[in-house]
Amino acid sequence: MRLGGRPPLAPDPDLIRSLAKLLDETGLSEIEYAVGDQRIRVSRETKAAAVAAAVPPRPAEPAALNGANGHDTHSHDKTNGADNPGTLKAPLVGIAYLAGEPGSPPYVKVGDSVSEGQTLLIIEAMKVMNQIRAPRAGRVSRVYVGDAEPVEYGSALMLIE
Amino acid sequence: MLEKVLIANRGEIALRIHRACRDMGIKTVAVHSTADANAMNVRLADESVCIGPPPARDSYLNIPAILSAATITGADAIHPGIGFLSENADFAEVVLEHGFTFIGPKPEHIRVMGDKVQAKAAARELGIPTLPGSAGALRDMDTAIAAAREIGYPVLLKAVSGGGGRGMKLAHDEAGLRSLVPLAQAEAQAAFGDASVYLERFLDRPRHIEIQLLGDGRGGVVHLGERDCSLQRKHQKILEETPSPGLDPAARERLTATAVAALEKLGYQSAGTIEFLYRDGEFYFIEMNTRLQVEHPISEMISGIDIVREQLRIAAGETLGYRQSDIHLRGHAIECRINAENPDDFRPSPGRISEYHAPGGPGIRVDSGLYQGYTVPPYYDSLIAKLIIYGGDRAECLMRLRRALEEYVIGGIETTIPLHQRLGDNAEFQRGAYDIGWLERLLDRG
Repeated sequence: MRLGGRPPLAPDPDLIRSLAKLLDETGLSEIEYAVGDQRIRVSRETKAAAVAAAVPPRPAEPAALNGANGHDTHSHDKTNGADNPGTLKAPLVGIAYLAGEPGSPPYVKVGDSVSEGQTLLIIEAMKVMNQIRAPRAGRVSRVYVGDAEPVEYGSALMLIE
Repeated sequence: MLEKVLIANRGEIALRIHRACRDMGIKTVAVHSTADANAMNVRLADESVCIGPPPARDSYLNIPAILSAATITGADAIHPGIGFLSENADFAEVVLEHGFTFIGPKPEHIRVMGDKVQAKAAARELGIPTLPGSAGALRDMDTAIAAAREIGYPVLLKAVSGGGGRGMKLAHDEAGLRSLVPLAQAEAQAAFGDASVYLERFLDRPRHIEIQLLGDGRGGVVHLGERDCSLQRKHQKILEETPSPGLDPAARERLTATAVAALEKLGYQSAGTIEFLYRDGEFYFIEMNTRLQVEHPISEMISGIDIVREQLRIAAGETLGYRQSDIHLRGHAIECRINAENPDDFRPSPGRISEYHAPGGPGIRVDSGLYQGYTVPPYYDSLIAKLIIYGGDRAECLMRLRRALEEYVIGGIETTIPLHQRLGDNAEFQRGAYDIGWLERLLDRG
């Protein structure tokens, strides 16, 4: 998938870094910064300075904002996995959700053992939540997608070994 | 104005729509199957989304996947192109329900013109002459025989849900009709999932003449002249030209006036084409295509109007902004459909393009996504390029046609270029003396 890399959608790492620094300096627990219809919220809820996408005004936003999510807890690697037989691929186009609802823990994380048929993530398409289940038992060794990230047909989602 | 258009199609027509969008500063989203990941329209689009595996039903006909792609890319409009979902009224409706702009006609117009029997009734109501035929789908053999007696042989059996000539059978007498009805029904069932067929009088050796129309849905309707699409093989158009060498000015005036009046009455919006069978000054409605057509570029060449641009403008709510008297049709244009097929037996010839050189120079336009190293996938239509030639008159156009075909190099696969060269050298074609069955008779002679 190639989504538009136009400036309004691209995250600004410098901005995020300076906001995170500001958070430390001021001792605040959360800073929300908005320009136009794009919002960035930096909070110290989690260990790493979590940068979360806030209320995307357009469905295309999560993709771009997730680019700032390079340091989330799962190993997030798009360059690999397409040819590995253990790779779980997206059966449809939509938006991937790693947790059942915002704020709740993800269905699975790297290192988890999963059984066949266990729900691994959700892909939302046309307002329908499609549960993506493990095709076989195994261990989750990679998670290739970020939460609320658009995926196209055939995108690598996870590696189950 | 539209900001980002999702093009729900593939191949040369997806590229054609991309070009119109970019000419207007509109961003494009290409959706594609896994088989088309390297296609030129995908490479050139501002954004692209893979929507499914190669079979069209899982990708280019997959409505939820296309709408999801529009949602995740933030597109504000969808252009259905040609074929696939372009004449699917349910798709147009669901696009609108999801808050996107549909670049095409109103769903109700797609629906009525998509059903052959309803379309014929609508045409009659709109003042378009229709061929005598059975009132509707044939219930049984007795109805068929009675209808054929009233219409007069030869009669043509056609599928109610059909298109592209599939499921059509010609019966010369009652015995023939008896044997062909079950055959036509079986073919219709297999091709369209609907076995109902109807009858129509068969007109011997007519021309296929169609009128290109544009309506803005707010009273504005213009025509861009006719196209002669008589050169067909198995009901598939091979070469089209405008103006038709077989139409005199008085007949042209009657045809275009009839077509424009019909669309004014309908309140039609977007580009559309009414197809006619024409012979000796008489013309009969075949069908109306509520979409862009493959051969639209020849009308653009003689009118100077970009039809896809007009579709985009109209979809954005604009009116035509000009009248018929502002349109001046000049010169002559021909389109050669270049298919990835053996030029003698028309066997499909997909594969890798080892060399590619497109013709150029005065009066030449090539609409194609081909490039050296591209692999033509085996899953879809065999149309890979459209060579469009313009000349000040038909003679100049024909000379340029032969010259452009000499220049065109497509290596690695077989194409129908040699067939077009043969046409260009044919004396009867040069005189314009052809009808709907002429090309097949020529091919049968070998």
